[in-house]
Amino acid sequence: MSKKSIKVALHHLLLAVLAIVWITPIVWLVVTSFSGYDGMNTSRFFPETWSLRNFYRVLFESDTVSQFPVWFKNTFIIAVFTCLISTSFVLMVSYAISCMRFKGRKALMNMAVMLQLFPGFLSMIAIYFILKSVNLTNSHIGMILVYSGGSGLGYLVAKGFFDTIPTSLREAAYLEGASEARTFFTIVLPLSRPIIVYTVISSFLVPWTDFVFAKIILNSGISTDWTVAIGLYNMLNRTLIPTYFSRFCAGGVLVGIPIGILFVLMQKFYVEGITGGSVKG
Amino acid sequence: MNKGKVKANPAVEFFQAIGRFFKEFGEAVSKGDAAVKASLLVTGAGYWRRKQIVKGILVTLLELGVILYTCFIGLPYMGKLGTLGTVERTMVYNPQTMKNEVNDYDNSLLILLFGIISLCFLIVAIVLWMANMRSVYRLQLRAEQGKHINSFKEDCSSMLNDKFHFTLLALPVLGVIIFNIMPLIVMICIAFTNYDTNHMPPNTLFTWTGLANFKSLFTTSLTSTFGYTFRKVLVWTLLWAVLATFTTYFGGIILALLINSKVTKGKKIWRTIFVASISVPQFVTLLLLRNFFANTGIANTFCANIGLTDFLRNIGLISTSYIPFLTDPTWAKITIVVINIWVGVPYLMLIATGVLINIPEELKESAKIDGANAFQIFRKITMPYMFFITGPYLVTQFTANINNFNVIYLLTQDVYTTTDQKLAASWGKEIDLLVTWLYRLTSEQYNYKMASVIGICVFVVCAVITLFAFNFLIKGDKEETFR
Amino acid sequence: MKKKVLSMVLCASMTAAMLAGCGSSSSNTTDTSDSSASGSADTAADSASNEAASPAASGETVTLRVWAAEEDQTLTNELVEKFKEANPDQSFDITIGVESEANAKDDILVDPEAAADVFAFASDQITDLVKAGVLQPVQDTDTVSSENAAGSVEAATVDGTLYAYPMSADNGYFLYYDSTVVTDPSSWDAILADCEAAGKKAGMVFASGWYNAGFFYGAGFTTALNEDGGTALDWNGTSPDGIAGVDVVQGMLDIANNSAFLPITDGDTANQIASGSLAAIVSGTWDSSAAQEAFGDGYAATKLPTFTCAGEQVQMGSVAGYKFVGVNANSEYVGWAMELALFLTNEESQAERFDQREIGPSNTNVSESAEVQENVALAALSAQSAYGFVQDGTVGSGFWDPTQTFGEIIAQGNPSGTDLQELLDNLVESAAQPIE
Repeated sequence: MSKKSIKVALHHLLLAVLAIVWITPIVWLVVTSFSGYDGMNTSRFFPETWSLRNFYRVLFESDTVSQFPVWFKNTFIIAVFTCLISTSFVLMVSYAISCMRFKGRKALMNMAVMLQLFPGFLSMIAIYFILKSVNLTNSHIGMILVYSGGSGLGYLVAKGFFDTIPTSLREAAYLEGASEARTFFTIVLPLSRPIIVYTVISSFLVPWTDFVFAKIILNSGISTDWTVAIGLYNMLNRTLIPTYFSRFCAGGVLVGIPIGILFVLMQKFYVEGITGGSVKG
Repeated sequence: MNKGKVKANPAVEFFQAIGRFFKEFGEAVSKGDAAVKASLLVTGAGYWRRKQIVKGILVTLLELGVILYTCFIGLPYMGKLGTLGTVERTMVYNPQTMKNEVNDYDNSLLILLFGIISLCFLIVAIVLWMANMRSVYRLQLRAEQGKHINSFKEDCSSMLNDKFHFTLLALPVLGVIIFNIMPLIVMICIAFTNYDTNHMPPNTLFTWTGLANFKSLFTTSLTSTFGYTFRKVLVWTLLWAVLATFTTYFGGIILALLINSKVTKGKKIWRTIFVASISVPQFVTLLLLRNFFANTGIANTFCANIGLTDFLRNIGLISTSYIPFLTDPTWAKITIVVINIWVGVPYLMLIATGVLINIPEELKESAKIDGANAFQIFRKITMPYMFFITGPYLVTQFTANINNFNVIYLLTQDVYTTTDQKLAASWGKEIDLLVTWLYRLTSEQYNYKMASVIGICVFVVCAVITLFAFNFLIKGDKEETFR
Repeated sequence: MKKKVLSMVLCASMTAAMLAGCGSSSSNTTDTSDSSASGSADTAADSASNEAASPAASGETVTLRVWAAEEDQTLTNELVEKFKEANPDQSFDITIGVESEANAKDDILVDPEAAADVFAFASDQITDLVKAGVLQPVQDTDTVSSENAAGSVEAATVDGTLYAYPMSADNGYFLYYDSTVVTDPSSWDAILADCEAAGKKAGMVFASGWYNAGFFYGAGFTTALNEDGGTALDWNGTSPDGIAGVDVVQGMLDIANNSAFLPITDGDTANQIASGSLAAIVSGTWDSSAAQEAFGDGYAATKLPTFTCAGEQVQMGSVAGYKFVGVNANSEYVGWAMELALFLTNEESQAERFDQREIGPSNTNVSESAEVQENVALAALSAQSAYGFVQDGTVGSGFWDPTQTFGEIIAQGNPSGTDLQELLDNLVESAAQPIE
């Protein structure tokens, strides 16, 4: 019996060690954001002085480098619209491909697989000039279009989910004389809450984490135009690190909180999505 | 549903479909009545003849739009596609107006971009025009046979019914065409031009150079080290994809097994701790870790304090006064893979947890009764089940890792300096993946031509792997089996 | 025109949608709620809202965008205000963006038409910017060349045309040291010995062609730009002064192998000075306040030390760099942009820039003023200027990566033990690689 309890103790010890490894960088982020100095302290893990100053400055004292509230607002607006458009695109494509049979369906699916094998930012420059020709660079609309325009390609997960909705449900609806559109809105969508939540959250997160496209399209050099990702990325510019590192951490924590909450909410749907809905957990 | 059908060769089917299309078009032109023939010029004519007034007007307006666009915007660009422009820009300052007077110059990039877009547009328009002939002719046949001809209202409602997929797919496909396909075609074309720092629009022109760039990618000569760099980068890219995919995959499964083991107390808390680490956006954590592992960073301070640095120096693993976590080729590769484990394992843990919970307990129980030990159960039952469910995910994960820009770029940009002079001559680094190399070639060197060539190579590599994986590893199409 | 209409319609409908959706105007980035901390943000916001309020009348509002370094924001903002006052008859709409002088080229070349109308940049970028046709030739050449130091004008001239307005003449490097630790800053050997004794370090950026070229320039080597865009280096031979390139490398290697030496990553100098482990560092005026703070009473600066080269002491050379203000040839109001550039670099502006930021002026009158002469860092810079080499226009874009790698190899003490001559040969070869 004691042998077993030692085993259990070891088991928990191992988990604890792993947990510490995984949580250390996050703890460092948080404690640095609460530190009393500007730059990075490379000699101590926990700061000598604690303060809320970094958060105060990030939120209320904007300067040309740090415009966190404006960035947050920009990103939020872009994220909301991206999320609306992307989610509708993804659901539309998935339904068409999963529940309907038409000519060219297989061809479309193969095309989608092929397109995703090209590295995305190869076409960055071309997209930039397309947007520029209609005067949409340095604008929220341009960013929204970039993030949501091609989102139909990411239909696979949602399609996997729709595939699991029994055909009999839809057939019953057709028998009652419902149109395809009616079936989509009244039968399939209400059953798809998990996948809708998954799609909404994952498309909402895109603008918060992308800095490659944002950097090239928001190129006016005016920091109030930026999104959170480019703004924070810019703070770690070599010349700015000494004065902005702890504010970067504060910004990271502030972005991390809402995203973390969303992620915890999404956890279950995420698993269902990836495993093709075959998991009923 | 085509379940019973024997699978035909898709390529053959494709060409057969094209053949049928042309045949029907020819039939429509030769056998159509006057109205159908008139549709060759005025696309709406055939519809008006059958009293589909609104549809006819719409189609004619579309035709008018296409013609106007092609004549006034499309043609000027398309005409120059062959040369990509011939007139260089000249500017003269006019002190009176305080403005520059610019000649009517050609911008090669815009010619390429809009030339290609207009060309595609025109091809689509011609196909639509032919399809229109076909449907007008079908309409004639229906009228002759005395069948019902849809009113405009009926046409509209069919868009919500048996043609609902048109309605659903129209916008998303348009989006994909504008934001994926068009830019991609343009960038592929750039691989055959000399678009680089010496040929940058609007100031200078670039032009077609054929396969020259591909040649320089695969050759190493006295003046060009692209071939050498490409080989090195490709090898590391593949090695990285294998390492990154499998370490996180098995790491995730092991972690999931640990957490979900019967003896674990507080499973939810453990899981939340690991999930917490992925809730902060990746670029924040990666930039943070870059500073954490910097040569003068806190990780080095810590290692020096506990004497690890001295120990490593004594056994000859390092020659510097710090541990070069992200600055030495070998160390950096190891650090990057380890950090990637840190980043990726929690995701995999979530997925694996989901799958593990669903493994039928009876299977394990009966195996236990048969005398299987824990490892055998893992190997014979857990892993096959995992593979079955997550196989496709594993393949996409592998290609995603080939294109894993964030981890490598954010961890090493501005920090890592290569010590290989041949790599440096073509702006590569030991830790570069094809994509990061491509990105730096465009954003730092403006060498768009080589970047496009590399992009095409990435595609080829990914395509080969995906084809192989889907044809040999994951047999069959699961699509219909769920129902 | 068509495109404009289309985009306006799109913008309008999108804005309307956003208004409806969020209940607040959002596509406009003119929120002034919290920009009181910095003046420049204020103006940017103000001018942007002016634009929205009063569309360009027939008198034509001149819209200009200025890029200035982060540290220069407040100053640039003041100067722009003065510029507006100086031209009361013209209405302006001038916004100021942040762009570091060192990175200006990278962001401009992606799309020169979208870059700022007036921007500051470091002199090493001038060749590439001219090649891309970004820079508008200076019209008022007489004023610019008569007011500024000859070297700065020369560096701003490419193929006989003056392309930029010199703003500062301090884009070079010299030695900062803590005089309480380092007693003899004249040679690397002495400095390293003093540092060793005090348990401190002496630092320099090796992994950058801008810094490590100093050793070679000092020994009489040169750089030159080839017709095909490659860089011609003579570093693998023997210099006109009779010093062999391998001996220079050996000298660098000896410094790098000294335990009191700390190789620094380019751009990391301020952090390293602040960390307090250094007693001497090769850097430029931008680090003067960091050095003052770290070295305290011992703060001192002087010309670069000599280094040991085949038994001889050889004075290190350096790169004489400048910072320029350039005008974008693609600017719609290129005439006014040139006026503004001229104003930002005139005598008063340079004097103001020195007062606020201790930036070494390129203007001859300002640099002769008593305050400038007394400035420790600038005095060291001018002492070093005798050994300076104008690198601009003598190196191509293929110069930087190979020299960076070369410097990194030396900084790590040549770990693979490659023959030094071979290292140099490789370096020369890869720098000479033509830009096809």
